[in-house]
This record gives sequence, structure tokens and C-alpha cells, in this order.
Amino acid sequence: MNHPSELSIKVIGVGGIGTILADKLSRFLNYSNGVDTRITFVDGDTFEPKNRDRQEFVIAGGKKSLVKASEFQEKYSELNYSAFDEYVDPSNVGIFIKQGDIVFVCVDNHKTRKIISDFTKTLSDVVVISGGNEFTDGNVQIFVRREGRSLTPSLSDYHPEIEHPKDRTPGEMTCEELAQSEPQLFFTNLGVATYMCFAFYNTVVKNGPSYSEVYFDVLSMKADSKSRKPLNS
Amino acid sequence: MARKFTKDQLDTKTVPELRGIARNLGCVGYSKKPKATVIDLILEKQGPVAASTAKAKAAPATKAKAAPAKKDATVSQAEFSLQSVLTKPSAKKGDKTTTTIRVSCGAAAGDFTVCGKTVGAVSEFLREVLNIDRMAQGVVNGNTVDGSYVLQDGDNLEFLKAAGRKG
Repeated sequence: MNHPSELSIKVIGVGGIGTILADKLSRFLNYSNGVDTRITFVDGDTFEPKNRDRQEFVIAGGKKSLVKASEFQEKYSELNYSAFDEYVDPSNVGIFIKQGDIVFVCVDNHKTRKIISDFTKTLSDVVVISGGNEFTDGNVQIFVRREGRSLTPSLSDYHPEIEHPKDRTPGEMTCEELAQSEPQLFFTNLGVATYMCFAFYNTVVKNGPSYSEVYFDVLSMKADSKSRKPLNS
Repeated sequence: MARKFTKDQLDTKTVPELRGIARNLGCVGYSKKPKATVIDLILEKQGPVAASTAKAKAAPATKAKAAPAKKDATVSQAEFSLQSVLTKPSAKKGDKTTTTIRVSCGAAAGDFTVCGKTVGAVSEFLREVLNIDRMAQGVVNGNTVDGSYVLQDGDNLEFLKAAGRKG
């Protein structure tokens, strides 16, 4: 592998995308010799039986971040896992994300993407790979900052819906609102997680990036990658 | 074969669109010239328009003029390709190679003969083909542009699509 001898990976959001991504990424890294890797899960949510069609877990009601950290630690013994069972907000984002991190954003709202986008723009070295989906289509964004320069657009540069989010973070929502989640398709979550793995390989292992965003559509079976310039570096 | 425009067709186009056509035909001295002069230069450069060609080309233009609703201005990918064919300025006589520009929106993408057209016009024409949102921002070669930007040979046009919200 081309990447440094140490990797600090943050997986923010351990839902339909995050659980798939973390498993595949862990398998790849567990057998990449010589890489001291720590994977940290960040999510304040608990596993619910209604999500079994998309999320693999053994303890209903357990905190997602803690359950997955414990489960993966047993499964992938070469890696180190830790967890924060909290939602990201402006007051704690600086605790979860540090200089040099590789951040996988697998959340289900634009407000959290905006918080992470704003914070990571202030770091000099960071890789942010953010995925999201609707029912049958999805996208993955790659934001890279090296030596204080943005090599690709931030999460909000070409996305006004993220720059001016109309939704709220899970921490701002009531229990009733949280319970009323929109239906999602496992295959679309799987597609996003797969493209996030592609982005990781391209950006971290192969020292890219060669593109800044990719879109895919389950029904048309098409995908298209984009190369855009950062609006402000 | 290079498309030949009639004077009526050229009269319906904006000055930036006409300059794009003039550029593609290899005209010189068209910049900063008034609309009528640019049209004359294009007509002179492309030579006489055959009667049958003129009639065939004029028909869609007339239809487009008559179409009152915006939805009618939207065409299928196949129709659009048939209506808009421009030959590369560098193409030799008889060369059937046409200039295409890659246009995309989200996962949908295609190569279209839209050289010389404005981004706004392309958005209108390809809305249904590429599922382009009415408010979608145009990005050419990685830079944001407004609807009046005239596409040139070698451009790559993207209409921005919103990011997926769920995860």
C-alpha cells in the first residue's frame, strides 16, 4: 500500500451505508500488512429491528457505534476500534475529527454534512469521503485537503442543499421524528458503500484523487464521475 | 455533412449563439460585429442552401416557434441529435465527423451535438433526457457558468444534481 504506516479513520453514521462500508474496509485493512489502523465509529443512534433488512446487528436496542466497535474488534484483530455514542454537532465535531484523519460520512441528513464540511475546511490535511442516497440512486463526494489547500471541492461547494440545509441533525429531532424514517433500499446503501470503498482506494491507496464526485442509479445501472474545481481553496 | 442554416433560422438565434456558429464554420472578423453582419458572414461562409434542405431545416424551427409551452421545447435525445448537427471547423469536405459535447446530470450522460448553443438552451432541450432540474446550475469544464454561456468544441457540460440525503 502507498498510504502512511498509520491510519486514523472515522466512520460517522453507522446505519445502512456505514455498517456495510466498515465491514468491507476493515477486511481490506486487516490484511494490509504494516498499517497501524484505528477505526472510530461515531453515532448516537441505537439498532432497531425495523432496519434488519438493511443493517446487520445482533443486539436490538444497543448503541450502534459501541456494538459495531466491539463486534469488529473480535472479527478483525489486527485493527484497533473505538466509539463515540453521540451525534455530531458544532460543539463536538472538533473532538471527533482531527488533523490527518480519513473521514467517512455516512449520515442521513444534510445538516450534519454541513457541520462536517465547515469544520474540515479549516483543517490543513484531511480526506472526507461522504455518501448519501435516495431510494434508487446515490452519490459519493471526495473532499481532499493537503498542506492547507483544497484539491477537490468541499461537500457544500457545488451543493446548495448542503450549504443551506433544510433538515436537522438527529440530535435536534424528537423521538417521534426519529421513528418516522423514510424507506431505503439495501442495494442502494450497498452501492454507496461500494463507491466509498472505490474512493478510499483511489484517494488514499493510489494517492489520488482523480475525481471529486460520483453518481449512480440502480434502475438505469449507470454511473458517472465528475471532476470539479474547488470554489475556495 | 455540415448543417446549413437558412436566414430565417439564423434570425431566431442570439448573438452569442451566432458567434458560436461563426466560430465553428471558421469565419473571421465576426467578433464585435452586429447581428446582421454575423448572419451575412455565416451565410456567405456556408454557401447556398439547397431548396429541399432549407425546407427540411425550416420545418422544425417553425414548429419550435409555434410551440407555446416550455414542455414542447423539450425533445428526445434522438430528435435533438437529428435537429442539431454541426461539423468541426477542421473537418475536411465530406468528412462526416461531427462535433459533440459531453453533457451530464447525475448518473445520466451522453454526447450531443450542441456546439454553439447556450447552456440555457441545452438545459431546456435535454431536461427530460437527462432528468435536469429546472434550477440546476451549469458547470463547464469544472467551472460554474450561467445560462448564456455558449458551448465550444472540447467543452464538458454538467448540470448539478442534489446529493442523496439518506444513509
